[in-house]
Amino acid sequence: MSANTKPSPASTAPAEPSAEFTPRLDSTIAGIHFNNPVLTASGTFGYGQEFAHLIDLNQLGGIVVKGISADPMPGNPPPRIYETEAGMLNAIGLQNVGARKFLEEKLPFLRSLQARCVVNVFGYSTEDYVRCIEILNQGEGIDAYELNISCPNTRCGGMVYGSDPKLTEEVVAASKRASRRPLFVKLSPNVTDITEFARASEGAGADGLTLVNTFVGMAIDVETRTPRISNITAGLSGPAIKPVALRMVYQTYHAVKIPVIGIGGIATADDALEFIIAGARAVQVGTANFYAPETAVQVVEGIRAYCQRHRVHLSDLVGSLRLPQNQPPSTEY
Amino acid sequence: MSDETVVVTENRPLTGGHFLLSLHSPRQALATRPGQFAMLRLPGRSDVLLRRPMSIYDVKPGAFAGSGNGDRSGSGDSPTIIQLLYKVVGRGTQLMAELKPRDEVEMLAPLGHGFFKEEYLDAARQADEVLHVAGGIGIAALLLPAKSLAQAGIRQRLFFGARTGLDLVGAEDFGPWVTDTVLATEDGSRGHAGYVTSPLEEYLERHPEKRFLLLVCGPWAMLQACAELARRPGCRCLVSMENRMGCGLGVCLGCCVHVEGQGHGSYERVCTEGPVFWAEHVIWERESIPKI
Repeated sequence: MSANTKPSPASTAPAEPSAEFTPRLDSTIAGIHFNNPVLTASGTFGYGQEFAHLIDLNQLGGIVVKGISADPMPGNPPPRIYETEAGMLNAIGLQNVGARKFLEEKLPFLRSLQARCVVNVFGYSTEDYVRCIEILNQGEGIDAYELNISCPNTRCGGMVYGSDPKLTEEVVAASKRASRRPLFVKLSPNVTDITEFARASEGAGADGLTLVNTFVGMAIDVETRTPRISNITAGLSGPAIKPVALRMVYQTYHAVKIPVIGIGGIATADDALEFIIAGARAVQVGTANFYAPETAVQVVEGIRAYCQRHRVHLSDLVGSLRLPQNQPPSTEY
Repeated sequence: MSDETVVVTENRPLTGGHFLLSLHSPRQALATRPGQFAMLRLPGRSDVLLRRPMSIYDVKPGAFAGSGNGDRSGSGDSPTIIQLLYKVVGRGTQLMAELKPRDEVEMLAPLGHGFFKEEYLDAARQADEVLHVAGGIGIAALLLPAKSLAQAGIRQRLFFGARTGLDLVGAEDFGPWVTDTVLATEDGSRGHAGYVTSPLEEYLERHPEKRFLLLVCGPWAMLQACAELARRPGCRCLVSMENRMGCGLGVCLGCCVHVEGQGHGSYERVCTEGPVFWAEHVIWERESIPKI
């Protein structure tokens, strides 16, 4: 079956496990070849090395490193995290070592891996984004940038860009001009119509889209009537957000031509497959890395087993959602 | 440090909603150093998502015989059992309280550098006496340091305060390792009535000539009070910090405390740079909450 034809019912029906069928799990996004479609999400996997003695990092398709800014950032005062039902709130405040220290201290290890290295970039102004990319351009072994225009936890941070399509266009266009590498844009779900921002990014030259970042939420200690998080509001992640993230990936897949990377509460291979069937060409595992470091590797194995069982390649699955006959894909809600 | 699925050998209820959980985990028990902690996860619970950080209270020899008592059933001296002393305070610990022998949990351990840092051990050796100061369940962080310091021949004393007498769990375990134990309860039901920092302050004032190292674990206000008391000459203070944690691996940056000096800016991770810090390096004033 070619990658472009939609899977027919016969070809995806459960088949006898067959030794001769080896599913292809690789995925190419903006010219970058990933061995498999599973990446670890920014801010949940450090700089990779922290997990080296717990899992085989070479089993991952890619690692998206913690958000990097041109200059180091101290982050927000504690308390910074709070667990909620099937999820967690965080307001870390993008604490990071800065682009130069990243190149010196963190990149050499990442470069030694087979997993692709994607660097998440953020700033407080368009100039900040550009300056950070210019510093990172000097390093070798980075495969792509992921532009964070959606962090809800810094006062003037990425979120301003992620909630105004004109600003999205401006920062993506400037970053694309500065970048010598493919540029993915990580979108905020805290907007009325995410496809508007997806189209704005595509129009400004984005090579791919990552969605979604965290949902703005909050929690209160009723005994003391104080916020659970010092920043008051915080980003909600984890299994709780998965259905909403999935819907946004589905809508965006039908709204743009550039590849979509799905993220939001993925903890199992089935979760990942839902995103892929909805249209994601790759997925990111985030919060699950915190409580089950082996998740991303298990997701890869689970996708492989699924593809083997259904005798399909990964590319056959992307956007392969089956709808009742004559029903057009609805992206309204 | 390793991530392992381990078996419960005993989950012994104590007074005041406390439990002593024993887990058969030879590799992790052998690797444990004083002052380190574990992250515990209850498999298959998506409503309680994150692992819970717990001080490693004790490590003991003993094979898992399924008898419900792993303490003395084994042979040899190598530790195989990790014990966690905890109090039921929320949903996670409530579920832990329901664990039974043979149940499995996932444990990431041992974590943090704990008390096992040369500069900390030097400070203990230079002191005339090490004063352990525990507030409530903070006692759980101090037993292993007390044991190892006793084996090094260092004189020690325990100051242990809690809300009620029922919360003074584990005090008797320190008996062999300390020369004296001073108890205090807020309700006056056992020992000194009031905060434990009062008898501690009196003790420090009675011995102005002595050099002390305070090793403190408990609520923030108690840590802060001890840090103040330790500002006198000849006195130093180490605090074992607690915080909500996302991962225990140093990547989520959720457990950071405001500390002077190097590291990740001025915020350091309790799980990685800690959990033990010099009290004088911690910035104790709570920062104001920023406005939206």
